[in-house]
Amino acid sequence: MTDNVLEFRKATKLYSGVPAIDSVDFQLRRGEIHALVGENGAGKSTLTKAMAGVVTLTSGTMLVDGKEVAPKTPLEARHLGIGMVFQENSLVPTMTVAQNLFLGQEKFYNRLRGIYIAAQQFLQSLNFDVTPTATVGMLGAAQKQMVEIARAVLHQAKVIIFDEPTATLTPEEKKYFFDLVRDLQKRGVSIVFISHALEEALALADRITVLRDSKHVVTDDARNFDRDRIVQAMVGRDLSNTLYGKRKTTVRPAGERMLTIQNLKLAPMVKNNSLSVFAGQITGVFGLVGAGRTETFKIAAGVLKRDFFHGGEILLRGEPVRYRVPAPAVKDGIAYITEDRKVEGFFETMSIARNVYLGLLAKFPRGRFLLSRREAQSSGESWIKQLNVRAISTKAKVVELSGGNQQKVVIAKSLAQDPSVVIFDEPTRGVDVGAIVEIHELINRLADEGRAVVVISSYLPEILALSDRILVSRQGKVVEEFSSLDATEEKIMYAAIH
Amino acid sequence: MALSRVSQQGIVLGIFAVMFVAFVVFLPGFFTTANMLTLLQNVSVLGILGLAMAIVVIGRGIDISLIAVLAVPPGLVLQMVQDGSSLPAALSVALLLAVAFGVFNGWLIAYAEVPALFTTLASGLFLAGFGQAALFSLDVVQWSPGMQGFEWLGQGRLLGVPLPIIVFALACLLVAFLLRSTRPGAYIYAVGDNPNTARVTGIPTRPIIVLQYVLAALIGCFAGLVMASSVNSMPTRIFNSTMIYDVILVVVLGGIGLSGGRGGVLNVVIGTLLIGTMLNGMTIMDVSYSGQNLVKGVVLLIAVIADSFVNPRNEETAQQGDI
Repeated sequence: MTDNVLEFRKATKLYSGVPAIDSVDFQLRRGEIHALVGENGAGKSTLTKAMAGVVTLTSGTMLVDGKEVAPKTPLEARHLGIGMVFQENSLVPTMTVAQNLFLGQEKFYNRLRGIYIAAQQFLQSLNFDVTPTATVGMLGAAQKQMVEIARAVLHQAKVIIFDEPTATLTPEEKKYFFDLVRDLQKRGVSIVFISHALEEALALADRITVLRDSKHVVTDDARNFDRDRIVQAMVGRDLSNTLYGKRKTTVRPAGERMLTIQNLKLAPMVKNNSLSVFAGQITGVFGLVGAGRTETFKIAAGVLKRDFFHGGEILLRGEPVRYRVPAPAVKDGIAYITEDRKVEGFFETMSIARNVYLGLLAKFPRGRFLLSRREAQSSGESWIKQLNVRAISTKAKVVELSGGNQQKVVIAKSLAQDPSVVIFDEPTRGVDVGAIVEIHELINRLADEGRAVVVISSYLPEILALSDRILVSRQGKVVEEFSSLDATEEKIMYAAIH
Repeated sequence: MALSRVSQQGIVLGIFAVMFVAFVVFLPGFFTTANMLTLLQNVSVLGILGLAMAIVVIGRGIDISLIAVLAVPPGLVLQMVQDGSSLPAALSVALLLAVAFGVFNGWLIAYAEVPALFTTLASGLFLAGFGQAALFSLDVVQWSPGMQGFEWLGQGRLLGVPLPIIVFALACLLVAFLLRSTRPGAYIYAVGDNPNTARVTGIPTRPIIVLQYVLAALIGCFAGLVMASSVNSMPTRIFNSTMIYDVILVVVLGGIGLSGGRGGVLNVVIGTLLIGTMLNGMTIMDVSYSGQNLVKGVVLLIAVIADSFVNPRNEETAQQGDI
């Protein structure tokens, strides 16, 4: 018997050749609470998913109780005693608490009264205040989480993994959650949890592991850490030899105030958010998951569905606007370039030229009824040349292109609309290195042309390399502003975590 | 994927060619000018309805209420003329009814976000029931003297070609022009390919969806007028028939993907010809009505299965109301 209930040795997971975790060593001791921290995309989620059998490792070994295992499905992981509580609930909302608890374990004939009694006894033994006959959809976030935890305990998990457990909880619920976790620990369960809230990690965990850029940085006892040391470990990159090595030495001056957001509210993601965007410069917006950056700008561009006008004001060139759909925002010169191009970025069965032409049509020429084949061809060709899209011809379908070229098509479709405010949401996500350089050059060119450019990014070096002005968002609002001349990774990260 | 899609159209065309040649060789009386014209005339109403369905399916929807709109507004024309209204007045009322019905469908689907399948299922039932309960005195609305001259639309000939064929051809040209060369047409393909992208790009997606259903209702109403004038009456019970399945058969068999954004008028023509040849051949061979249904059912199943293999859907393209 070893001291470690769960261990990874040189664990690597590649997604289409790109490592999400790279030779990561990780040990979970029996009965400890272990926090995983790191930036977005540092590999925390992939590591926990590998533990829970959601993804399988490309190389490296996983050991449970000293024995080598390779769970291929969550069910296999559950049989090994590993349970995971996901960020998105994995409960069936229309079933009752008791039915959810016993889901997948039903006997052929399943007496409801029987499982209600069993569930009642079981929940009481855990001291959970949840009614077994309640429908899960009607429960609050904290109670849903309790049901998930109860299910993991019921499956006799000896390791329970939490992905951002406190993100949706109120302060009182958080306190209760901490007690629950400590109670589980007393029962001999080992806990792994991902957190963006460093205070929580410091207060709750016995040990902390920091990941950065898919690699393991440091693991140590929580009492040996403080906030500064964690931040150092999270951001301490050596960038001198990379794409992001050059730091800005001058910043563009602010032009006209193009977009002003005042006290914008959209529960629960955006809370009294206020910010301004100026023409002729790049405004970088940094924040961790759940900071409300994307939502804020989606509201401004009319992209967010179901914006029930929770409050606040949006001004474009000083005039109040509020878009319910993107079409009028596009006509007024706001372009939102999505972070999720497969879902809302391009028309996959159409050619590059048709994609660009549809962007053009949606804004110009007003009132025209007939299409112009010549205009479609020429606009397509000119944008392919300007953005250096590598494809066999303008007739190539977008779905057949590489990620970087697809992203360029999405950008071309918006730039064909000649926008005055361009909002890039994670402009280089899933894009190869060569295309990243080209997209960055393009973003700089847009600002030089006098457009107001917003770059939302979770990757600090990208923010630092591009921005003239940096806004840091935390828990639904912008909390800090830096000039890019005096910003450092440490300062920004310090402002972004809570 | 591009290759396999070409081959699906190829497969359908191939089946059509094989069937056609087989009928020419083995069925005496099939390949005559008279029979060819009959074949085309018989399927022209179906083809026009196929065009209406194609517009909606390309825009990632479906319209089950087409037969109701085929029966009720044209039936109303006949009924009003019978009751003493003038023909132009009756036609205007019927067109208004069709437009209102299309707007109603489109509003429910685009703005209230009710899945297209359920919306048109319910609204079709409603319209047919409303017609039978409140508008028509008999199930079959008869031709009346006031309609004099209008039967030319269904029974006339131009240069020896029956008018329904010419009308179908004209409708094909018009819809092809709309889909290929106009801005609304480009938008319909965009909404069908990816409604989220269309929305973010600044295309007015919801008005375009309403437009699809208005166009479908208008074309359906027009098909009904052609049908009524070729048989000198409007049998309103046609709503209870299986005709809507034939329309879906034409569209899917022709190769218009149910996942939207693909296909065009040519596919409707191919589908219509295949169905027309099949039905005509079976009629000459004297296959019973139930036997014909059996064959149609098998062919539709094969077509739908082939569609889901050739145009696969995933979590990203599948959506609520998608069938």
